[in-house]
Amino acid sequence: MMAEFGGQMAADSLLTHLLRDPNVPIGGGCLCLAGDCPHCLATVDGVSYVRTCQVAFREGAAVIPHAANGQLPPLESRGERPRVSARTTHCDIVVIGQGPAGRAAAAEARATGAHVVTLDARDGQEVIGIYPGPLVVARAEDGMRHVYPRGEIVVATGASEIQPAVSGNQLRGLVTARAAAELAAAGVPLGRVVAVGTPPDGIVCERASGTLLRFEPSSDPARVGAVVMRDADGAETRWSCETVSLGLGLTPRDALLRMARGMNVRGVGDVLVPAHVPPCPVDGTVCPCAGVTVADLASVHARGFHELELVKRATLAGTGPCQGATCVPHIRAFLAAQGAALQPPFTARPVTRQLTIGEVAAGAHPAATPRTTLHEEHLGLGATMERLGGWWRPWHYGNVEAEYAAVRHGVSICDVSTLGKMQVSGPGALALLEHLYPVPIATLAPGRARYVFMLDERGYVIDDGMVARESETRFTLTFTSGGATFAEMWVRDWAESLDADVRLMNQTFSLGAINVTGPQAATLLARAGVPAPPAFLRHGQADVAGVPCRIYRLSFTGEVSFELHHAAADSVKLWRALLLLGQDLGIRPHGLEALLKLRLEKGHLIVGQDTDFDSSLRRLGCEWGVRLDKPAFIGRQAVLRTNRLPLDRQLCGFEMAVGFQAPAEGATIWDGEDLAGVVTSTTWSPTLGKSIMLGWLRLKDGQLPTEVTINGRSARRVATPFYDPEGRRARG
Amino acid sequence: MNEFVERAIDLRWPAAIKPAYDVVIIGGGGHGLATAYYLATRHGITNVAVLERSYIGGGNSGRNTTIIRANYGIPEAVRFYQRSVDLYAHLEQETDRALMHKTKGLLWIAHSEAGIRQERARAAVNTACGATTEYVDPAAIGEICPQIDLTGGGVWPVYGASYHPAGSTARHDRVVWAYAEGAMRLGVDVFQRTGVIGLRMERGRVTGVETSQGPIAAGVVLSAVGGHVTTIASMVGLRLPIRTHPLQAFVTNRYAQAFHPIVASSGLGGYASQTAKGEMLIGAEIDRAPSYAYDSGYPFLQHCAFRMMTLLPFLRDLRVLRQWTGVCDMSTDYSPVMGLTGVDGFLVTTGWGTWGFKAIPAGGEQLAALIATGRTPDLIAPFSLDRFARDRTMADRGSAGTH
Repeated sequence: MMAEFGGQMAADSLLTHLLRDPNVPIGGGCLCLAGDCPHCLATVDGVSYVRTCQVAFREGAAVIPHAANGQLPPLESRGERPRVSARTTHCDIVVIGQGPAGRAAAAEARATGAHVVTLDARDGQEVIGIYPGPLVVARAEDGMRHVYPRGEIVVATGASEIQPAVSGNQLRGLVTARAAAELAAAGVPLGRVVAVGTPPDGIVCERASGTLLRFEPSSDPARVGAVVMRDADGAETRWSCETVSLGLGLTPRDALLRMARGMNVRGVGDVLVPAHVPPCPVDGTVCPCAGVTVADLASVHARGFHELELVKRATLAGTGPCQGATCVPHIRAFLAAQGAALQPPFTARPVTRQLTIGEVAAGAHPAATPRTTLHEEHLGLGATMERLGGWWRPWHYGNVEAEYAAVRHGVSICDVSTLGKMQVSGPGALALLEHLYPVPIATLAPGRARYVFMLDERGYVIDDGMVARESETRFTLTFTSGGATFAEMWVRDWAESLDADVRLMNQTFSLGAINVTGPQAATLLARAGVPAPPAFLRHGQADVAGVPCRIYRLSFTGEVSFELHHAAADSVKLWRALLLLGQDLGIRPHGLEALLKLRLEKGHLIVGQDTDFDSSLRRLGCEWGVRLDKPAFIGRQAVLRTNRLPLDRQLCGFEMAVGFQAPAEGATIWDGEDLAGVVTSTTWSPTLGKSIMLGWLRLKDGQLPTEVTINGRSARRVATPFYDPEGRRARG
Repeated sequence: MNEFVERAIDLRWPAAIKPAYDVVIIGGGGHGLATAYYLATRHGITNVAVLERSYIGGGNSGRNTTIIRANYGIPEAVRFYQRSVDLYAHLEQETDRALMHKTKGLLWIAHSEAGIRQERARAAVNTACGATTEYVDPAAIGEICPQIDLTGGGVWPVYGASYHPAGSTARHDRVVWAYAEGAMRLGVDVFQRTGVIGLRMERGRVTGVETSQGPIAAGVVLSAVGGHVTTIASMVGLRLPIRTHPLQAFVTNRYAQAFHPIVASSGLGGYASQTAKGEMLIGAEIDRAPSYAYDSGYPFLQHCAFRMMTLLPFLRDLRVLRQWTGVCDMSTDYSPVMGLTGVDGFLVTTGWGTWGFKAIPAGGEQLAALIATGRTPDLIAPFSLDRFARDRTMADRGSAGTH
């Protein structure tokens, strides 16, 4: 018997240790000592459902057997625990199980020079699943093992012993034949042993002949006192005993093998034995995990639950901690005895051995939210940071009103390094961009820039940003902060599909960007050494306070704005220089909260906030963003087609009468009794002295209502921009 | 005595397939069986066959996380799902079967300014459309669910949530069986292990199905399949704006009842509830890459466990029992597709994404009404397939990719 497991005399398992004292109430059910059955489960040091046969005995361990109190463990995790480590290994071959077959397979592979990793539950490395990858995951006392084999996975997990499914099978004193041999070898007192079926190795015991009928308790109602057998003539024989050894046949422990179908996996040894089909159970508990009896099986079967899966779902047999290892042979036998063909066992899924959520999470970490080079500067200026568009960004610096006023009346700077930035160059650059954008790019002269939307094939807006032409064959694109990853993928995919002769360079992280904005922006740039900055919608190269920059002249705030793109390494130098040079101009940086107010006054939408993923330019009221006389671009067919259909809703501007506070974003818009839309952006405008909003509005009878109700107050649909509609201020 | 053993439902399987039925429904999941049930109970139409290639409820009906809610982001969806919430609330009474329906309340947590906006919008639209959802602050969240770590492990602090008191769960298998039993009792034939391998067409009209058990003539054919609807539709040359994505979930062992609401977080991409059995049931968003595969992935388990632990630290020592995967038919606007297809005699109910279970009663009821009357009921008219051609898509950002 011991040779079966490597001939090593392992230290006591926790279960073996507990069984040395017959007064410890562990067991209750036929113990297998192999991690298959649910009978030795206990809460150990606060972790419930521990198979005590699979963990080494440790002095001082706090053990509460589950079977003892009959209650579910508490839903809690107490105290601190050290973080569980996860170790990743790459190898040639993984061998799971180190019985004779597994050892032979490992030796054979090693002889070829292969790097072999062996994992054996009896060494405390319980494999919990084989996953696509292929990836073999094992749980060990010292952490998780993630093993990636280049070659074969050898499954040598052996076979488990079939459990008795007869009345009295919940009693203590029942063990499988292998467990009996193992306990005897470990010197655990078994008392008078009676063997049913295949006898245990190395134990002198009586052999009960005939068919197993039931177990009967001793004077202790929880312990077995006798096993009752029936012989061929139908006569019952009662065998008194203190322990019953049950050798009822083997069923392959093949969950890992079945789980990994389609992968480079091979079974060796007993895992390939045909499953023994026990006699049809007639009485007693079949599934100890869920407490399902033969009567329950008969009951659901009589009402049409004939499929193994339906029987499982109707009774919950097989859904407990042993995942069917105990009950499935008996349920299959039961269903086959009802006249159906023998059905295959349940689908095998991870996890085959249990582990805690803390263990399974080992190796995971929070996805880092990136910070711009200026992060510490913002903190030094007292900024409240917030996650927006996938970055940490300054939400405000403590005084939104003053930040806003600096932009409208003086000068301010804003860290816009989070914008997606991409350089597109090469002979095919122009043709690619003509395909990507719904407006002409060829007419954009070098030195000029413009605001653009990006559409998908359905004509819906997926991003917006800038196209700037630097030369005949070189362009810079910007994307929204949150949409940059998708946009880059989009551009690269199309470049590949169109076989465009271009070079695409992501500059999102390599370039910093600072927006200098406000009526005094040009004054500040002059002080920084740029007396003649680019005109509106133009760009140029210049040193700003000694930092080489490309200056783009667009505007999101509505005021004169210069976007300074520069090497990220220079961001801090540039930022500090601008703040210093603008001190007497009352310069102060503005955060996102002020920026959102500024842009809303200008009616600028934010993709993702004001748009949904079916927002066409017509719905956004931005039909100027598409030129249908352009012969080909992504989304053109869709725009042509949908433009012929009646419009159903549009993104509109709204304002409330003076004195009313802005409603929360998400507020509903009502046209009389009809729900007409929802507010997507809202703010109180200090300059206009009223609440302004963007929101979706449904057309009624082909018309957009003008008077609506928001939060029970009347509001008006108005044209945007709310502020400086002619755009004089941005042009300077 | 196991209180979870089903002790009443009686499935009376038919003896043999008839050569012809008025209605043939492909797919013996919740939607197919509920449609059959409502055809029989509401419209007296019982010459109906439901064909299931495996066992009933073995697809997504048996793989979902059993959540029932109406807190969607667009008015049409809120109204539709509210109908389902109402039907579920009375389904035990109607079918006289114990479906383990339990109202738990659902918290949808916001961890960012954008999240607050989304949950506020959800609450406002729900309230406007007859569902009850309110925006609540962290203090109220702590009262509803004391186990939540409001600091989000110091990484994803809780800013607020929308709270949907009607959020509930039911035992998914029993819902399927109760509909099957009710339909079969009135004469509907349900066949397991009967796969559809082709659709018969005559002069532009679908007139029957070819099955693994032979041909069946049909007055109307409804596809109520999950996962392979594009395969079925392609049998009549119909292309659907559907992609199929895997969705994974896992459960722990059973623990004493202590976690009462359903807690979801878009920011963390996961959600959790405690089942009637006592298991913690945890799910995530769909896998990004389309696939029909039912493989379970380790990265999902690892990262979902990690993220949910930041919000619910009590999960740490609980034992993972089993993980599994379903496949979700996602339409391009993340809303379902129900009704006529433009192919005479062929209807679909699909696009159920990750929200098919909660729609079973209303979906079945409305499709039955459509089949019985030939008119599309108002409640589901917005979800017709031709909305894509009419530019009437219904993007529901608040529901994209979540349960």
